[in-house]
Amino acid sequence: MSVDPMAYEAQFFGFTPQTCMLRIYIAFQDYLFEMMLVVEGVILKKLDAIPGCQISPSQIRKCTEKFLLFMKDHFDKLFGRMEEVLLQLVLNIPRNVLLPEDKVHEQYPYSKEEFQALQEELQQLQQQCRAEAAAGEALRAELEEQKAVMAELEKILQWFDGLENICREHGTGNFKESFAFLTQNSKKLQDALKDVEEKSKELERLEQLL
Amino acid sequence: GDGGAGPAVPAAPGRAQVFSTVVDTFLEKLVTAGSYQRFASCYRCFYKLQPQLTRSIYDQFISQLQSSIKEEIQEVKNEGNLEGLFNSLDKIVEEAKDREEPAWRPSGTPEEDVRSALVPYLLKHRSYLLKVLRDKEEENRKVAKSVLAGRDKIAELQQLIQARKQAWQ
Repeated sequence: MSVDPMAYEAQFFGFTPQTCMLRIYIAFQDYLFEMMLVVEGVILKKLDAIPGCQISPSQIRKCTEKFLLFMKDHFDKLFGRMEEVLLQLVLNIPRNVLLPEDKVHEQYPYSKEEFQALQEELQQLQQQCRAEAAAGEALRAELEEQKAVMAELEKILQWFDGLENICREHGTGNFKESFAFLTQNSKKLQDALKDVEEKSKELERLEQLL
Repeated sequence: GDGGAGPAVPAAPGRAQVFSTVVDTFLEKLVTAGSYQRFASCYRCFYKLQPQLTRSIYDQFISQLQSSIKEEIQEVKNEGNLEGLFNSLDKIVEEAKDREEPAWRPSGTPEEDVRSALVPYLLKHRSYLLKVLRDKEEENRKVAKSVLAGRDKIAELQQLIQARKQAWQ
């Protein structure tokens, strides 16, 4: 028959019920023996005070042993019964009872696999957070760059607008057109120059051939 | 009539009560067994000599034994705060009275048991991370929108500049 270690009870009470009962048993027994010794001592003393007494100390010792044996026998039986009741009814935690401090174990009965899965999920989430943070930084960096680029482009536009304002102010009519005409003309000139160059090169070749 | 509540069932005695009763019963029975008759019969020689003394010695013996035992019990109760613990346990048992399945018990392997204790913290951490992630994602969505708008604006500016350039050709 396996002995119930009553570990859960020990968790609650701070001691093992069996240990407690043993302590009490030993204490009671000690008192019983002590009392008996006192009784014997008193009787022996009283006997000493009686002159011509026939009773020897060893006789008294036999009486004491007889009474003690009898008492010990009943004591053990009665204590055994008491211990049984206490261990079953008082110093015990019924099978269906969960101590409040252990509530988590019923609320979250995670197996090894489930626990690992949870840990992995957490790792993944942390990675995702880091990724989002990095993406955020990249986006904000581009935003800053865009600001700089826009500023430059705005400057260029403003320069163009400035030009137009100057033209308008100086009333040079359509300076733009004349400028455009000039640009076109200079382009025509360039084209013409190119033509002439080509033609002269051809002429040279022809002359050489001749 | 029917449907009315039956006679009130007296509450079962609590553990403290049972403890006291059991100890008292033990003492009672012990004293009964160790009766004066038994005592006198064992110490017959002395009893014959001094019956009254025998009686008084016996009475003292029994009373000392009883008070020593009661004192010891009281000490054990005080040291272990048994009274308080018994009452707590009674409450805990009462709260579990509708539950039939055996409850969880420590497995004996601390690594196994500590898992469940950690789970609530991990779950809290998970919901925290989820929130942080959602918030960051939301924030990034907004910034991404601004970035796209910015790109459009830059393209627009570039087009305007092209147009001006063309006009000056």
